[in-house]
Amino acid sequence: MKKPARVKLKSNPLEVVIAGVKFKNPVMTASGTFGYGSEFAAYTDLNKLGAIVVKGLSLKPRAGNPGPRTVETPCGMLNAIGLQNVGVDAFIKDKMPFLRGVDTRVIANIFGETIDEYAEVAHRLDNCPGVSALEINISCPNVKKGGIVFGTDPLQAYAVVKAVKDAARLPVITKLSPNVTDIKVMVKAVEDAGTDAISLINTLTGMAIDVEKRRPYLKNVTGGLSGPAIRPVAVRLCWEAKKVARVPLVGMGGIMTASDALEFLIAGADAVQVGTASFVDPDAAVKIASGIADYLKRHAMTLGELVGSIRV
Amino acid sequence: MKKSPDTKAVVLYNKEILPGYFLLGLKWKAAKAAPGQFVMLRTSGGFDPLLRRPLGIYSVINAGGKKTFGDDGIELLYKVVGKGTKILSQKVKGDGIDVLGPLGNGFTLKAEHENKKVILLSGGMGMVPLVFFAKALGSGTALFGCRSKAEVQLASGFKKNGCKLRVATEDGSAGEKGLATDLLKDEITNDSVVYACGPVAMLKATAAIAATVGAVCFVSLERAMACGIGACLGCAVKSGKHSGVYDPSGVIENREYKMVCSDGPVFDGADIDWEAF
Repeated sequence: MKKPARVKLKSNPLEVVIAGVKFKNPVMTASGTFGYGSEFAAYTDLNKLGAIVVKGLSLKPRAGNPGPRTVETPCGMLNAIGLQNVGVDAFIKDKMPFLRGVDTRVIANIFGETIDEYAEVAHRLDNCPGVSALEINISCPNVKKGGIVFGTDPLQAYAVVKAVKDAARLPVITKLSPNVTDIKVMVKAVEDAGTDAISLINTLTGMAIDVEKRRPYLKNVTGGLSGPAIRPVAVRLCWEAKKVARVPLVGMGGIMTASDALEFLIAGADAVQVGTASFVDPDAAVKIASGIADYLKRHAMTLGELVGSIRV
Repeated sequence: MKKSPDTKAVVLYNKEILPGYFLLGLKWKAAKAAPGQFVMLRTSGGFDPLLRRPLGIYSVINAGGKKTFGDDGIELLYKVVGKGTKILSQKVKGDGIDVLGPLGNGFTLKAEHENKKVILLSGGMGMVPLVFFAKALGSGTALFGCRSKAEVQLASGFKKNGCKLRVATEDGSAGEKGLATDLLKDEITNDSVVYACGPVAMLKATAAIAATVGAVCFVSLERAMACGIGACLGCAVKSGKHSGVYDPSGVIENREYKMVCSDGPVFDGADIDWEAF
């Protein structure tokens, strides 16, 4: 009698668990750089992503800022989109059906002008099938109300995270701003409020001027700087955060290649997010995940051994 | 899930047709393109310049001589203006270039406009997508404006593609002295359909002239963009016809801001809030 074929359980070397959620690999798309996922369906295999973090969602739809909204700078770009988004209800109704058909995790990035708004958006997403976690945006530099206001004051940050935790059962990742004096204070504040993980960094506030016109390139005057120009700052903040953090970290800031992503993992991040790189190459995140797998194989390491393995 | 489209193009030629102006021929499998569409091109393999450059498609290359828009390759016509285009100008036959596209909606002659007088209005490099459109139409009146005689040759494609051509130069060194929109005032009637591409001031004036005489007008817009596929939301232009409320269904008609890359680059001139531009 023929023996039944033995099912070989192949373990996935890239699998990672953050905030109790299992991800197939540690590479996520950063909020605001990947739309609602569908925009990229023709250009990359969405099923190969660790997670899709969607564009920041607010209670009501937001039109965004007047243009020009972007300008390229050396090895980077400034943006002042102003959190244009369809609103949480339209997201659940119109965008989630597509995302449920993709074999990856969906993380909903949320934003509010008030603490109550954050809580209400979180509450509405809490019962939405297919949403695996919330990422709280307390760090957008481009809107007048909310955003960075909550991200630079530890007491405000505590209050937002606490309100979201009370309003939703979903795991919560809090996204920190680099525009602070001491990141460790913010790490402690959001941890005390109960965040399940921390992602960092959001963009650095910047500005560029057209000298011929003596006008700022952006209508909003200032914008958020992203791209490889900010990576050393981001790696440093990630490394500093790791010294005090008890919760997992998701590192980001100018990751273009697998080697860039490895810097964050070695500095102590359990996972990474890829942002601006997706504009340059829509397939960047998938390539980075595969590059990390190659590295682990080459160094005969597990992902767990790699994380925080920096030798100083 | 769809497989990633082919972004690998190979340089067939990269000729300087006028000082500072280059005609770039690319062999590219994914080239099926319509007039008015554009590509996002990586000028360097590194990260400075970081972002892709949006370039309008000048023509498609059909090695087999087929009448339909083929997929052998595309021609791009560009002016060296900065770091990215400078690097691009140094590419030679056989070099590989990463090209995303074709992107955007492009120009179309709608059935209800078929009996109207077609005017193709362009200023400077704005002629690129319109020469391609002229080829698809095979006729029409082309109005071209530029600084001086040296740039007039850029518009030669209009005649080649069966259009009647009128030229205006700012210094009067060739054609008529003045702007392309001066020629437009001359040619436009309420039974015209105008397709325009060029500097914002020209497009703004064009939309105003068309509105005054009651003509239909479509404009191709340019805006700094990062992705080209509707994700970064960087290339927003304010719509003049929006409801005032962000339309949560995502239907573009009612949205306050439209994206040049994915909703355009071609828009109804009456649908743009020119004051906010």
